[in-house]
This record gives sequence, C-alpha cells and structure tokens, in this order.
Amino acid sequence: MGKMQEDARIIRNEEVARMTWLMRLHSPGIAARARPGQFGMVRVREGIDPLLRRPLSFHRIHSGKGEIELLYRVAGKGTWWLSRCQPDSLVNITGPLGNGFTMPDNPSAAIALVAGGIGIAPLFELMVRISESRSKIKAEKMHLFYGARSADELLPAAVFESTDVSVHWSTDDGSFGFSGYVTELLEEWTARAGFRPTELFACGPLAMQHNVARWALARDIPVQLSLESLMACGIGACLGCALPAVHPGGSSAEHYVHVCKDGPIFSAGSIQWRKIRKQQLPSPIFPCD
Amino acid sequence: MAQNPQATAAVPDLSVRLGPLRLKNPVMTASGTFGYGEEFADFLDLGCLGAVVVKGISLLPRPGNPPPRIVETPAGMINAIGLENVGVEVFLASRLPGLRERGVPVIVNIFGNTVEEYAELASRLDGAAGIEALEINISCPNVKQGGMIFGTDPAMAAKVVEAVRLSTGLPLITKLTPNVTRIGEIARAVVDAGSDILSCINTVAAMAVDIFSRRPKLANVMGGLSGPAIRPVALRCTYEVVRSVNVPVIGIGGITGAADALEFLLVGARAVQVGTANFINPATAVEILEGIERFLQVQGLAGIEEFIGTLDTGCLFPFAEESCEWIDLKQP
Ligand SMILES: Cc1cc2nc3c(=O)[nH]c(=O)nc-3n(C[C@H](O)[C@H](O)[C@H](O)COP(=O)(O)OP(=O)(O)OC[C@H]3O[C@@H](n4cnc5c(N)ncnc54)[C@H](O)[C@@H]3O)c2cc1C
Ligand SMILES: Cc1cc2nc3c(=O)[nH]c(=O)nc-3n(C[C@H](O)[C@H](O)[C@H](O)COP(=O)(O)O)c2cc1C
Ligand code: FES
Repeated sequence: MGKMQEDARIIRNEEVARMTWLMRLHSPGIAARARPGQFGMVRVREGIDPLLRRPLSFHRIHSGKGEIELLYRVAGKGTWWLSRCQPDSLVNITGPLGNGFTMPDNPSAAIALVAGGIGIAPLFELMVRISESRSKIKAEKMHLFYGARSADELLPAAVFESTDVSVHWSTDDGSFGFSGYVTELLEEWTARAGFRPTELFACGPLAMQHNVARWALARDIPVQLSLESLMACGIGACLGCALPAVHPGGSSAEHYVHVCKDGPIFSAGSIQWRKIRKQQLPSPIFPCD
Repeated sequence: MAQNPQATAAVPDLSVRLGPLRLKNPVMTASGTFGYGEEFADFLDLGCLGAVVVKGISLLPRPGNPPPRIVETPAGMINAIGLENVGVEVFLASRLPGLRERGVPVIVNIFGNTVEEYAELASRLDGAAGIEALEINISCPNVKQGGMIFGTDPAMAAKVVEAVRLSTGLPLITKLTPNVTRIGEIARAVVDAGSDILSCINTVAAMAVDIFSRRPKLANVMGGLSGPAIRPVALRCTYEVVRSVNVPVIGIGGITGAADALEFLLVGARAVQVGTANFINPATAVEILEGIERFLQVQGLAGIEEFIGTLDTGCLFPFAEESCEWIDLKQP
C-alpha cells in the first residue's frame, strides 16, 4: 500500500512530560499502512505560516483501531501550534513515509535500544512489536537505555510496563537515574554487566547518535539509527533532506542520501559523520502570538 | 454535485496553446518541486496535469550542495539544493519511461555550465521519444559557475538559447530569473534568439541567518526564495514579460490555489506552474485545476481563453478620465 494524505481527527492531545506532548489521532488509512520507524508529515495549521509540514515519527500504531499516536517535543512555532490543537479538530497528515526499522532477525536475541529525549518516540512502537514477537521462554533480556536532560522530560516508568524491556535511566543533570549522558550509561553498564547486544536501535540528538554509532562500529554490532534532517516535502521530491553519506561504489566522491526516502533509518556505517556541519544551536522558543 | 445553478453548464474548455505547444489545461508542476513525477503518483492522477516539468537535468550526475539545503521563512522557503540530479543518461533510461506511462506530457528542464553543455544536452534529449518541450534554466541562483551569469546578461542568455535552438527541434521554453533590474530586456533577447515560450520566475535570491549561533541557515549561505512570499514579485515579473514580448508566457511563483493561478492568467500568462505548494499539499495541482474549472463555470465563461490576459488597467476613477493620462499602463 502506498502513501496517502489524510485528515486525522484528534482524540487526545496532552502534555505527558515537560514540553512533551502525546497526540492520539483517528487516522485509519495511515494506521493501516504504517510500520515502526516510519513518519508522517503533519500540517500543524491551515494557512501559509508556518508554511511547511513538520515530520513526526509514529510513536504508536494501532492498526486495529485505526489510530496512531505522535509524541512530540514543543521545539518551535510548528510544534507549539500542534500543542494548541483541540480534540475533535482535524490535522492533515501525509504518510506513511520513509523506510522504517527492519525487524531483528531474531527478536529473542539480546537487543538494546538507546533513546535520547524525544528520541524515544519512534523506538516505542518498535519495542512493542519486538516484545510481541519474542519467545517468552527463550528470550534474552531486552534493554532500553533512556536518557534526557532532566527527570521531568522523561516518560513515566509505567508506560514501559506493557513491553518486555528493562529500562536503564539517565539524566544529564543527575535528577534521575545515572548522572550523565545516556551513551556513557550504555558504555558503563554494558561493560559492567558483560552484556553485548546482538543488535542496537537508537534515536536522539545527532551527537548522541554519532556516539552510539562509534560505539557500535568499534564492537562490530549492527545498529539502526533514526536520523533527522530539515524537510520540505517528505517524499523525495525536493532533495532538501540530504545527509552526507559513504559512496555506494566505495569511492571518495561526494554522495548524499535523503533522509525522507532512503531513511530515516540508517546503518551507522553509511553516514559520513565528519561531513555533517556543526549543528545549529536550538533556537530558544519565542513566545508565539 | 452542482452547488450553483450555473455549475450545470457545459464543462469549460481548459485547453491552451502556447506557440508550438498544445496543452489540455494550463496547470503544470514546476521543476525541482515535483521530482520526476513518480513521487506524487500516490497523491494525484498525473494524467490530469497539463504537463510535468521534471527536476533540472545536466549532462553528468551532480551530487548537490552540502546540507542544510533548505530553510523555512515567513510564507516561504529558501533552498540551495545545488541542482542535484541523476544526469541525462539515467534520466532517459530509468525516469522518463515511467513518467510517460502515466500519460502526462513531459517537459525537461535543462542546465549546463557552458553554452556547449546546454547544446549537447539538448541534442541528447532531442532524439528521445516522449518529451514535449525543453525548459532552459538560465536562472538558477545556486551554481556559481553557470546559472546566474547566463540568466542576468541578455547577450549570454541569448547565446545559450541560440545554441540550444540549433540542437533541437523541440519547443523551447526559457525560464527567467527575477534577480535582474529589467526582466523585459532579457525576455526580448531570448525570444530574438529563438525561444518559443518564456516561463517566469525562478526563485528570488535570498538568505537567512541564526542570531544565536551566528551562522547562516544554509550551508551555501545564499539560496533561492519560493512560495507565497514571492507571489506579488512573480506576478509583476509575469506582467512585465507579457508586455515585453509576443510569445506565450508561463507564470510561476507562490501559486497555492486556483485564485492565485487565475491572477497570473489574468495578467496574460497562458499557463502556470505550481512549485513549493506541492510540498504542502501534494494534490495542489489537481485542486487548482478543479478550482479554475469551477471559476469559469461560475463566471459563465466557455473557456480559459476568454479569461487570459483580460486585465483591465484602465483608470480606477472613471469620472476623472482626463487627469489619469499619466498612468497609461498599456504602453510598454
Ligand atoms: C523523520 C523525522 C522524524 C521526527 N520525529 C519526531 C518525533 O516523533 N517527535 C518530535 O518531537 N520530533 C520529531 N522530529 C523533529 C521535528 O520534526 C522537529 O522538532 C519539528 O519539525 C520542529 O518544528 P517547529 O516548528 O516546532 O520548530 P522550528 O524550529 O520553528 O522549525 C523551523 C523549521 O525547522 C524544521 N526543524 C526544526 N527542528 C527540526 C528537527 N529536529 N528535525 C527536522 N526538522 C526540524 C521544522 O520542520 C521547520 O521547517 C522528527 C524529525 C524527522 C526528520
Ligand atoms: C526545492 C526546489 C528546487 C528547485 N529546483 C529547480 C530546478 O532544478 N530547475 C529550475 O528551473 N527551477 C527549480 N526551482 C524553482 C521552481 O521551479 C520555481 O520556479 C520556484 O520555486 C518559484 O515557484 P513556487 O513559488 O511556486 O515554488 C526549484 C524550487 C525549489 C523550491
Ligand atoms: S524532504 Fe524533500 S526530498 Fe526529502
């Protein structure tokens, strides 16, 4: 089934952690098509400002009920408008877009996931699916390393009860769990426990994903990363969402992948991390009128 | 489905003639905003469109600019894609056939770094079946070596068009840049050089910076502005070009709905291209088409030809006709 454009009806839209909102939508067409790791382009508002749609991952996909959930951080104008949307109003979404995660060959193996802040959004549905397909008797423990800047930005522990995962928490300011970056926690905990994941999944800020990529590459552990880029179309038409990548022919020639159609899920070795320009500082949010 | 008594009237004739080019309707999609067409097949019936103008093609593949390549601005966006494209060979072998099957006329947007490259590209495409026309991009603001230089100098622009004219019998559209002082001058030069049709405008040179990081928002620093923000500029350019030449003109710039498209037709464009709006609503082009049809029905017009170029620039205050002579806009 292909992509589509759908007027989704908002069922619920509420703040679940600091600046982090959960929106549940009735969107039967997209719910029937979507896979974990794919995303939608959300038109946060009618009119021409903001002009472009915003890419948001599917946090939950309830295909049976025809519903999806988005988990988003209010990061600027577009997501602020989205947080103002009331239940029963409509939001236009195009999707499902992108490649999505490849399910692990052996879901019962030792799988680890790393989430930085809002990076938990696409990983959640994946964890649910992996949990469902695991052999209850023979499965190894599945581990989630989940960090944020501060405790109030983390999703509550209760939401993970439905999954088969043990959560290792970290905060940059030490207000909850391990004090430091989530990648430091990953490194420390796996070394201490002598745990070697067979496969790794990650999403979060670029610097975090880069560290996960380096860690996994050094240990020869396959890793699937959910990456971001500025997007205009989301469907491979504008070529705006390029990331520098390793040339498929192995040459040193310049080569780009497009996050919306070749991704957003990439293997660690396919990206030319060093060529990614210094990220812009997140602009402080101005009061929206 | 009739919402209006007149809506039951006969279906208006939307077909237009642009010199050697005949289109079943005046709505096309703009180069670089519609990929190679296929990307939109899930969202609209490509066969409904007047034509699809594909992403700019060069002789050799180009990787494009480093990211960030795009940035959103008020009612618009700035892009510096750097003309990333698969190159003419891959285009002919693997993109064109699929698009032809969709039953939509294909217009190929071309660009080169030298006059010779333009000519060679045109002759490569000349032999290919299923190409309705070529659109010569002499106006991309992103490529230091070529685009800007050709499009802003009447003599250089004419050289490119002459060379392409000699290499192909296909209808030629020349796409003009707004980043000049007198767009009519360039328009006349390329028409004299053999362009059958003109299209305008390409993006408006622009830039955006971040005051916190103190960095430009595009890796290329500068880029091209598109979207509703440029529509008034595009409309003015179209009007000027229409009055400067006697070949058909295609209006482009910030069109998001039927009313916008009709503005361009009113000032004399014989067709329009929809660009950035495709990103916001991938079905925009078809919705514009339906909107134009409804407009003509409501206005009781038999066809789009009855509306094109009917702008009334007469005196706004008819009671003071004599004192209005100074504003004789009909004179070129
Ligand atoms: C494939 C993909 C999936 C994503 N999934 C989620 C998700 O599930 N939850 C979530 O909270 N965020 C997600 N993001 C990031 C989200 O798209 C941005 O936070 C959002 O677009 C910010 O918009 P804004 O108007 O609030 O911010 P502004 O800063 O005002 O936005 C200005 C422009 O920059 C773009 N932009 C800003 N930050 C980002 C970013 N990090 N990535 C891409 N574009 C950005 C906006 O789309 C807009 O065009 C995802 C991004 C991508 C590419
Ligand atoms: C992302 C992007 C890529 C573009 N690429 C091309 C191109 O390859 N060749 C070209 O002639 N114009 C290109 N354009 C210009 C558009 O075709 C069009 O002239 C311009 O965007 C103004 O129309 P709009 O406001 O409707 O987008 C591009 C525009 C955008 C936004
Ligand atoms: S966002 Fe347009 S090509 Fe990826």
